[in-house]
Amino acid sequence: MSLLLEVLRAPNAVRTFDNARWNLCMREIRAQGLCARVSYLLEDAGLLTHCPEQIRTELLAQRFKVEFIQAQIRQEQRKVRKALSGTNIPVILLKGAAYAQIGLPMARGRSFADLDIMVRHGDLERAETALAAAGWLTFKIDPYDQRYYRRWMHEIPPMRHPARDIELDVHHGILPLTSRLKPNPDLLWDQATALAMAPFHVLGPEDMLLHSAAHLLHDGEIRGELSGLLDLHDLIGQFTAEPGFWTRLMERADALQLGRPLHYGLSLCRSLFATVIPPEALQAAGQFAPNPTTNALVQTLAKRALEPRYPLRRPATVSGWLLYLRSHWLRMPPGLLSAHLLRKALRRSPPQ
Amino acid sequence: MILQAPHPRAANVKISNRALRPQSTGTLFQTGPFIVRIETPFSELRERLAWCYGRDTTPAPDSLVQFQIRIDRGSRFRGGIAPQAVFRFENSTPFQPFPRSHAFPLMEWGLNWCIANRAHQFLMLHSAVVERDGRALILPATPGSGKSTLAAAMAQVGWRLLSDEFGLVDYQTGLLHPLPRAVPLKNASIDLIRRFAPMAAIGPTYARTRKGDVAHMRPPLESLRRQQETARPACIVFPRFVPDSPVRLQQQQESLAFTRLAHNSFNYRLLGAVAFTQLGALVQHSPCYDLQYGRLEDVIPALERLMQSAAA
Repeated sequence: MSLLLEVLRAPNAVRTFDNARWNLCMREIRAQGLCARVSYLLEDAGLLTHCPEQIRTELLAQRFKVEFIQAQIRQEQRKVRKALSGTNIPVILLKGAAYAQIGLPMARGRSFADLDIMVRHGDLERAETALAAAGWLTFKIDPYDQRYYRRWMHEIPPMRHPARDIELDVHHGILPLTSRLKPNPDLLWDQATALAMAPFHVLGPEDMLLHSAAHLLHDGEIRGELSGLLDLHDLIGQFTAEPGFWTRLMERADALQLGRPLHYGLSLCRSLFATVIPPEALQAAGQFAPNPTTNALVQTLAKRALEPRYPLRRPATVSGWLLYLRSHWLRMPPGLLSAHLLRKALRRSPPQ
Repeated sequence: MILQAPHPRAANVKISNRALRPQSTGTLFQTGPFIVRIETPFSELRERLAWCYGRDTTPAPDSLVQFQIRIDRGSRFRGGIAPQAVFRFENSTPFQPFPRSHAFPLMEWGLNWCIANRAHQFLMLHSAVVERDGRALILPATPGSGKSTLAAAMAQVGWRLLSDEFGLVDYQTGLLHPLPRAVPLKNASIDLIRRFAPMAAIGPTYARTRKGDVAHMRPPLESLRRQQETARPACIVFPRFVPDSPVRLQQQQESLAFTRLAHNSFNYRLLGAVAFTQLGALVQHSPCYDLQYGRLEDVIPALERLMQSAAA
């Protein structure tokens, strides 16, 4: 098993590391972009002082970058708030922004690619107009891209303010409109919690976890997304102590049609991180599993695509590619998918 | 994060011996606070690395490595006609390939990029640093202003070269850490240094790189031997090379020096308050000057006088 997985499961493992093991483990951590996150894991376990000085220095140094991005995300949130003030449009913070805003420990050291927010479909046009008026621009101007987002996706084309570096993704759902699974956004809004910092909300705990699983398993590429699975693992650890959580989770999964990704997510967390999941919960999630052949195949491929293989083994390219195809298959009906893939194949390589 | 007792299968962790054996492949070298491992199939690159960094003691084979780099062959299809070199840091490929003959400048730029992106345990000033009698002269400047040339020349006349590119300020102690590296001399600077110091060890000229013609002066042995020895900042001089200009030294306001340094730093914004505090202390404790010069023969004595008067 990979040394990184060993550390994520039981940080105490680092006590026995010699230099050769440290070198190997650090290469895995760097490759997964988890330096800052691992630094907090080791600090919480009281193990930072057991690390060799060079290792501690490197891990701690990477916190600055992550914290800088998190500060930029907070600034972007304030700007969004200002741009939407007076419109009365409620906004849900998704993923990392939500974890950070409600102060989950797992947000420490977590890197962000962009700011993800969600508004009700009926508010979308007004929200976009207000953001555009405040200076946000859309950079994907190709008419096909526009149509792709507007007609088929669960978000509008990414926006960015020219004076800042953070990309803003405005969603109106959590899976593409064309997806096989159709979680109803109204249900998400029913359980959303309003934050003191209006107009921001966060998803209910169960929905937050389900969104994390759906995003990992149904929305794009899974290869190299170990940090995405780590989010799910941490969310389970965060919410599992709440009484009745697992029962509510299964009910929500059923109502939101997100049972399948939940089933895969729980199984993968268990096999990669040895996450503590009550047997009843695993069994209950098992009712959402597909036929045994598909189940075994997807689990094997996903495990291969997610586990840290660098630097000792070749990347699981074929598994990653098959899962990429699967995620596209789930995103769109076959006719639309073939037209879309043909279009993308014929287009010249995208500008860098 | 909740973790249960290790999974039954985790108990007998098997890592192959090959993976844990101290790697015999690649070139291992120390540069200041960092240990770097370069793996490459190119023998000429390995020779150049040995020429540049291999004269002092080599780190132990099982040292902890901060920068694990591969310079690989590019696409096989181009191999026969225009072979390429590809820079890889861990599993990422941050740059476009270079021609194979430019593998050494590619490795040097790539390593700079890695340091600038990751070494946030330091406030990283974009500057050359030289030292004498334990007192460091910081020479911050934008590319093309001649700081590498000036630092290379000073290293030939009795100054210890800490770095031609990075002022690594430890933000806990305020001390400067050396980063002895090959000094890239560009275009006219190559002959300028050859004339100024005929004994200087200068490698081959790489023609028509991104930054024009480049030849590297290897770090002086003194710099390598004393690469763990920090220095206290004593004076900050912003140099600018202007052909045929006499030496002009002008005192610089602290506040202006602060903004120039911050603007030129690799990670000032990233470090936030830590950088603000450290940079403030730096400009308050070291006199700052603006320098214009046209001839190395004139400017070096002027800087020596300046350092003496600053000490008095």
